[in-house]
Amino acid sequence: MRATAALSGAIAALAALPARAVEPVMHGAQKALGIKQMPWVFLIPNLLAVLLFSLMPVFINLFYSVTGSDRLYPVDRPYIGGANYETLFDCGNYLDPSTCSRDLFWRALGNTLVFVPVQVAAMIGIALFTAICLNRDIRGRGFFRSIFFFPVMLSPVVVALTWQWILQRNGALNGLLTSIGLNRVNWLVFPDSAFFWSVFVTVWAHMGFFTIILLAGLQSIPRDVYEAAKMDAASPWRVFTRITLPMLKPTLLVVFILCVIRSVQTFDELYVLTGGGPGSATILIVQYIYEVGFAIQPRNFGLAAAASLLLGAVLMIFTLIQLRLARGRNL
Amino acid sequence: MANLILEKLGKSFGAVKVIPGLDLQIDDGEFVVFVGPSGCGKSTLLRLIAGLEEASTGDIRISGESVISVPAADRGVAMVFQSYALYPHMTVRENLSFGLENIRMPKDEIARRVATATKMLQIEELLERRPKELSGGQRQRVAIGRAITRDPKIFLFDEPLSNLDAELRVLMRVEITKLHERLGNTMIYVTHDQIEAMTMADKIVVLRKGVIEQVGVPLELYNRPRNLFVAGFIGSPRMNFVDGTITEVTGAGLSFQSPHLPPLTLPARPGPLRAGATVTLGVRPEHFTLSENGTGWPLKVSVAEQHGANSYLHCVTPDGTPMLIHEAGQSHVARGDILRAEPREGHWHLFNAEGQRMPLDEG
Repeated sequence: MRATAALSGAIAALAALPARAVEPVMHGAQKALGIKQMPWVFLIPNLLAVLLFSLMPVFINLFYSVTGSDRLYPVDRPYIGGANYETLFDCGNYLDPSTCSRDLFWRALGNTLVFVPVQVAAMIGIALFTAICLNRDIRGRGFFRSIFFFPVMLSPVVVALTWQWILQRNGALNGLLTSIGLNRVNWLVFPDSAFFWSVFVTVWAHMGFFTIILLAGLQSIPRDVYEAAKMDAASPWRVFTRITLPMLKPTLLVVFILCVIRSVQTFDELYVLTGGGPGSATILIVQYIYEVGFAIQPRNFGLAAAASLLLGAVLMIFTLIQLRLARGRNL
Repeated sequence: MANLILEKLGKSFGAVKVIPGLDLQIDDGEFVVFVGPSGCGKSTLLRLIAGLEEASTGDIRISGESVISVPAADRGVAMVFQSYALYPHMTVRENLSFGLENIRMPKDEIARRVATATKMLQIEELLERRPKELSGGQRQRVAIGRAITRDPKIFLFDEPLSNLDAELRVLMRVEITKLHERLGNTMIYVTHDQIEAMTMADKIVVLRKGVIEQVGVPLELYNRPRNLFVAGFIGSPRMNFVDGTITEVTGAGLSFQSPHLPPLTLPARPGPLRAGATVTLGVRPEHFTLSENGTGWPLKVSVAEQHGANSYLHCVTPDGTPMLIHEAGQSHVARGDILRAEPREGHWHLFNAEGQRMPLDEG
């Protein structure tokens, strides 16, 4: 007993060391600046990080999008005005990518416009269903909660490689199919099935995150409201549509916004799983930006910057609309 | 006609027996209050009747028919929850009509019932508001209104006033009593507040650890508590208790002796008590006479509370037993004074060593 007490004491002392070391510095800072300025001292590290890694790149991006050449250093890049944007929008017919000078941009945009609604709908639908199941008094609830959350903790590349191993020609899924006497399917070679699996794998990878948020939302609905509904003879369907959904709306809205933003940003899983193929069937806008900027020679930083700013603008408008709607509808 | 009969009704949560099995009969139109300290099983009992909990043993019969396997919504009972449990995203009108829409009642009948209930509770002007735009008292009315629109055989109230402030609580107490007179339905009301129990009930059921300690009309419980628990629970402020022994049993009565206190002769019928028996004497705070002539119990005043119309003197006996005395009007007694107080004859309660009431010849 005494030994464990001594050990925990030692650990506590060790854990307090950094605080001890910083204390005199903080005291000095407070003396010099006054207590009212102290919050800034605590905020500065974070503000610096945000400034350096989030705000600065936005402005650098803006600079690159209006300058030309394949040179990386800003001083080497000549100003070309809106030429990059003009190139992107140079199209005979916006609905037919092959008439555009940058047809891959429009194909990627088109893919994204299909991928995002489909993936978001599937993601929220499945996450909500899972959350409702996990919110019940079922056996092994904690086990299932962690199982569904596991993929969230995996690196996207690991997720993609795992599913590639499952879906490739000689993969686990085809092995399973042949073992029950069915034909193999080249899942990632056909545009439609590759698109389906793109949605499936990304939903599988991120669903746990949204399930946890929705579960928290479900648990914040008071139990007695459900009991009142029970006394009020509400059928399970009526309870879901008239009690659960309306009371979950604030949580659903947050999940929806997060889900759309993440969906538009989808890149790493698909880059490893399909590489945007077959052809350009699963290339999404972020992958296009990456390829134009870094993969295809000569590297066209300016065009990539212009495309990413357009994407940012669209996301910002979307978020503002959502927030406006949320405020309007708030109970 | 909606009477309610509980037969050997029991409820266990795992290995814990919350209600070991109780029998109770509630007649049609009665206002019955379940009262007891927290954890006594009164809310569980109500939820069993409502159908929100499944009974482990026994039967529940409403108007003679067993409802033990009938879903909550079909039992003909309506419940008013402690937290009101209003649907926060619905207007008052929607809250009141939700249950009726669920059973596909015709729209004009729903409208008629909502109008009747809101008129009765004077909440007509709140119909289009949401619960969060209402005060506590208004929410309470809506919750009651929701129960009324369902036109149940039995109303169930689960500590409905506990979230209201003191003033509003008195007001709602009167309103619920009036509502009962007007509707005439059987009502079951759960509370831990014995003033609510005393003022509202036709019949009080005192519960402790899932067991009925006593059932009776309020004043019967007050005047003739069956045991120490009921004696201590009913009445506010609570009854004083003095431990002592019976020193002598004569034809005139019993001699009660407590250390450091003058002996008392209690007029008792010949009963099971013998000389030497350990007993507890109970005297309510309002049943003392302050004597001028120096006889009675010597009590030292530790705090004198002046309420204006009433005074409460917190005293101790010479051996340190606390003793509360109620004096009507304003008292002249101050802290540190030694009083002489005599328990008023005929208002004595005697309990044996098991805490059961011993019969005395009263007044």
